[in-house]
Amino acid sequence: MIVTKSWLNEFVDLDRIENSDIYKALNSIGLEVDSINDINIPAGVVVGKIISCEKHPNADKLNLCQIDIGSDENQQIVCGASNVVDAEFVAVATLGTKLSEDFEIKPVVLREVESNGMVCSASELGLPNLGDGIMILDDSIGKLIIGKELSEYKKIADTIIEIELTANRGDCLSINGVARDLRVALKRKLISKPFNPLNVEELHVNDVVNINMKDFLNADLSYSLVTIENVKSSLVIDLRLAIVKIDSKTNIDKLLRYSTHSTGVILRSYKGEDFKNEEGMVNIELSSRESGVVEILSKAKPVSVLGISQVDSIKAEDTTNKVLIEASYIYPDLILDSVAKNKFETDELYYNTSRGSEPELSLGIEYIAKLLDLVGEVKFLNGTLDITSNRKRDIVEVDNRTVCNIIGKDVTKKESITILKNLGFEIDERKDEIFIVIIPLFRHDVKNLQDIIEEIVRIIGIDNIPSKTLEFKEALRINDTSNRYRAKKLIRNRAVSASFYENLSYIFVDSKKLDKYGFDRVEKSLEVTNPIADDFDALRTTMMINMLDAVKRNISYSKKSIALFEIGNIFNTKREEKEVISFIYSGQSEKESVINNGKSPQINFESFVEKVSSVIGNFELVESTVKNELIHPYQSADIIINSKVVGYLSKLHPVAKESYGIFDTFIAQIDFDAVIPKHINTNPISNFQGVYKDLSIVINKKYTAIDVMRFIKESEIDMLKDFYCVDIYEDESLEDKKSMTIRFFIQSLEKTLKDKDIEALTLLILKRLKYNFMAKLR
Amino acid sequence: MKNLENYMLKATTLEALEKVRVELFGKKGLLSKEFIKLKDIPGREKRAFAENLNKQKASLQKSFDKHYETLKAKAIRALLLSEKIDVSLYSNISNKGALHPVTETMDKIIDYFVAMNFAVHNGPMIEDDFHNFEALNLPTHHPARDMQDTFFCNDGKLLRTHTSPVQIRTMLKETPPIRMIAPGSVFRRDYDVTHTPMFHQIEGLVVDKEGVVSFANLKSILTDFLQYMFGDVEVRFRPSFFPFTEPSSEVDISCIFCEGEGCRICSHTGWLEVLGCGIVDENVFKAVGYENVSGYAFGLGIERFAMLLHRIPDLRTLFEGDIRLLEQFE
Repeated sequence: MIVTKSWLNEFVDLDRIENSDIYKALNSIGLEVDSINDINIPAGVVVGKIISCEKHPNADKLNLCQIDIGSDENQQIVCGASNVVDAEFVAVATLGTKLSEDFEIKPVVLREVESNGMVCSASELGLPNLGDGIMILDDSIGKLIIGKELSEYKKIADTIIEIELTANRGDCLSINGVARDLRVALKRKLISKPFNPLNVEELHVNDVVNINMKDFLNADLSYSLVTIENVKSSLVIDLRLAIVKIDSKTNIDKLLRYSTHSTGVILRSYKGEDFKNEEGMVNIELSSRESGVVEILSKAKPVSVLGISQVDSIKAEDTTNKVLIEASYIYPDLILDSVAKNKFETDELYYNTSRGSEPELSLGIEYIAKLLDLVGEVKFLNGTLDITSNRKRDIVEVDNRTVCNIIGKDVTKKESITILKNLGFEIDERKDEIFIVIIPLFRHDVKNLQDIIEEIVRIIGIDNIPSKTLEFKEALRINDTSNRYRAKKLIRNRAVSASFYENLSYIFVDSKKLDKYGFDRVEKSLEVTNPIADDFDALRTTMMINMLDAVKRNISYSKKSIALFEIGNIFNTKREEKEVISFIYSGQSEKESVINNGKSPQINFESFVEKVSSVIGNFELVESTVKNELIHPYQSADIIINSKVVGYLSKLHPVAKESYGIFDTFIAQIDFDAVIPKHINTNPISNFQGVYKDLSIVINKKYTAIDVMRFIKESEIDMLKDFYCVDIYEDESLEDKKSMTIRFFIQSLEKTLKDKDIEALTLLILKRLKYNFMAKLR
Repeated sequence: MKNLENYMLKATTLEALEKVRVELFGKKGLLSKEFIKLKDIPGREKRAFAENLNKQKASLQKSFDKHYETLKAKAIRALLLSEKIDVSLYSNISNKGALHPVTETMDKIIDYFVAMNFAVHNGPMIEDDFHNFEALNLPTHHPARDMQDTFFCNDGKLLRTHTSPVQIRTMLKETPPIRMIAPGSVFRRDYDVTHTPMFHQIEGLVVDKEGVVSFANLKSILTDFLQYMFGDVEVRFRPSFFPFTEPSSEVDISCIFCEGEGCRICSHTGWLEVLGCGIVDENVFKAVGYENVSGYAFGLGIERFAMLLHRIPDLRTLFEGDIRLLEQFE
């Protein structure tokens, strides 16, 4: 919503009020000021009167003007604009005027003719563009005095205020509405000038216009009929419409839009002749086939839907003689529903009607009448034809104690009532702290007690409410989710230490890439309907595509080592969310330096596994069962934690690597649930010396080291504290078998072990291995 | 004996000295040989000879020990010297990564509210109309829905446009008093310099008995929170409108770049808008079946905080894994 200071001043007295006061007041009452800008007309630009205007002797397209600028002599000024011939008063930048930093008006010779000044267009003065040619002044800006500085005309050198209105404040979509609210904050009076049109015919509108209403409309309408001979606009109207960015083609439309922006009343015009019936009466038919759909018909044809749209051809033009003017109001919720249901096309006024236009229709009718009276030759028929829905006004009972409780500050009943009355609410006082609020129609957004409190709060000013700490009953509020965040923080910090940067990516992904690399898609019936872009058209079922995109991007930024991790959600085909942690490492595993002679090794399987382990702890790797086109078939593994497959780890498939154009890359994705650190119970620590013992066995090739380790672990052999495989050897002589050396650490809680104890334990282990794997001592 | 000592001192390495030690003090060494002579010496002289021999052995031993210490020290010096490196070459070789400024900011915010005894709650990203709109006093054709351009799914569900549905879920699951925050990613169909289709919010909600929770309480905790986040800033509350709170307010801090003087970042107003808040609307409580309660709620965009705190100019770089940005947080 755009307003200007001089425009506001027509509705509220802003005498001696600074811009900064307006800025502060608007913000404090919840009308957030987006910007506030003065139009600065340069000093030296004055009102000039064109005394004569003739063709330039040496140039067809130039005019030679003699202009009175209030000095002793008329000034000769060459002007290129064609509309200067129609002008009487114009804005003249006199000699010495600085129109900008580097543009000062100096005497010049144009095609051998002297020119002492410049006739200005609106945009040359920092005003909005008013079309081709120079700006023609008229007395709508105030009495025109030759030689007077233009900057003294407050309607030109105005202040433009852009307000960001919240969705509930339809009542402030007009100058009148903003003024009504602002005056409460500024404690100023509203200006209301009674209007008595000069040219009123004796004929009453009732005698000429007939309304034929079929149904209950549940809307308000007011009609007036005007005879117009010559309709014009004015400089102030043109300027202000340009400032508020309203584009109108005809003068009559300009006046209507201007009146609507001024008063908030929705105004439309119709060609009166088009409604005439055989008897010569202007016959308006109104019908409402369903709630929220009120149609205005001319000769049984709908020409307008109230609050929603109007047929172009029925609108009055500047040449229309009999103009029917309509003011209307409909409760916004009614048309919001009907537009959504019927998918109506809406016009530029719908924004206002759907947010609540001004219900006081006479305000709009009077305003447009006044304007027409000022700028055109018009004759009004006596009176208006009105239809009213008699909409009941909402009533809210207020207990002032609740007001105080919710605000957290003592506000007396009297204060509350004064504020509400100033805002236009009617009050019916009851005993004690109770009062009844009758809500004006223009505040359709106020419906309940909390709405009323909001009104009081914004006028008191939130800054005037003291801060008070809330006393609450202490209780443990650490829950599973807060613990999960704590775990996440720990894991994330470990990942950082292990050289990974944290990545954040969209949950959207390019479906073509999911297909190309063989990933599942979320079922079509569950997929996003209105994606923002083609390459974000699917919900992600893997994080890896986003991460590969990030790697590629970083390589384009000349990065040689890209290590990223991300904790986030992915979806399965049923669109169920799962939190995973993903890692990707591409390129160099060290920084280039003197130490490695400027040649860092590339990341490899071993160092990648080591890095991932240092983040999420130990895990087992077994041959991969995951099938997608990112996985390298011979350097990939399932990740196993607590005997469960919780993710995968792989070298990036060379085809994918080539297609992305990136370095050797390793990827891993693990369910986040599996890496949350578990609660730990300690085991007793032995004070006796332990011994390491190596055992070499020969077993069938089909068994992996992990098979043997798992079996030993499950055997739970007493005193066996630790064990791990240190050598695997195969050769032809061993045929289908291989040799495996396992190192054991043996320690007792009770004593220092003797040779025979160690011997016995070794034999026990061997016996078990023989039994399970047919292992033989080598 | 003097000769022996000189001979010993000729050893210049620990290895050579060890050889000398064996020659002199070993079982078959020179001194042992001298002691063997004892048995051939007649009784009376025996004692004097032995005493003399012991004295000389002791003296020799002393010289040996001293020389050993010297050589040992020399050997350590040589070892140390042999291990000498140019330490400066090892400067700045850290291969550490960095946390993302958004999650790091989120951590900082969560820390505050956990310390203030707020519970943390999560909810699904795929939501339904009831939790995301209807229960939050945003009925079907409400114009305020325009503020939030929504991603819909083919089955009518949607991607949550704010973290507020987590409030609804928590209220439906638990009973007052409630004191919670809900951090998470949210989605709106918008993409330009200041909008990304996904971003992060933290939502806060406090509910207690009727008459207990007031706007004054909200002011108190948010002022404290904003000063915790941004340091010594002024905090300004402006009335505003949100469908789910009433009275509602937007909260500004004095511009941290120009200290309120007015600059490009604060659009020359001296203030930066950082969060929205208000008293929970009674229609929200109605939707979850709560009666006779009062409460406040607030919500903020984490990216906005991160960008202000770390002076990050372009929102979009936050979602591109751009190491040029991330490495600055090492």
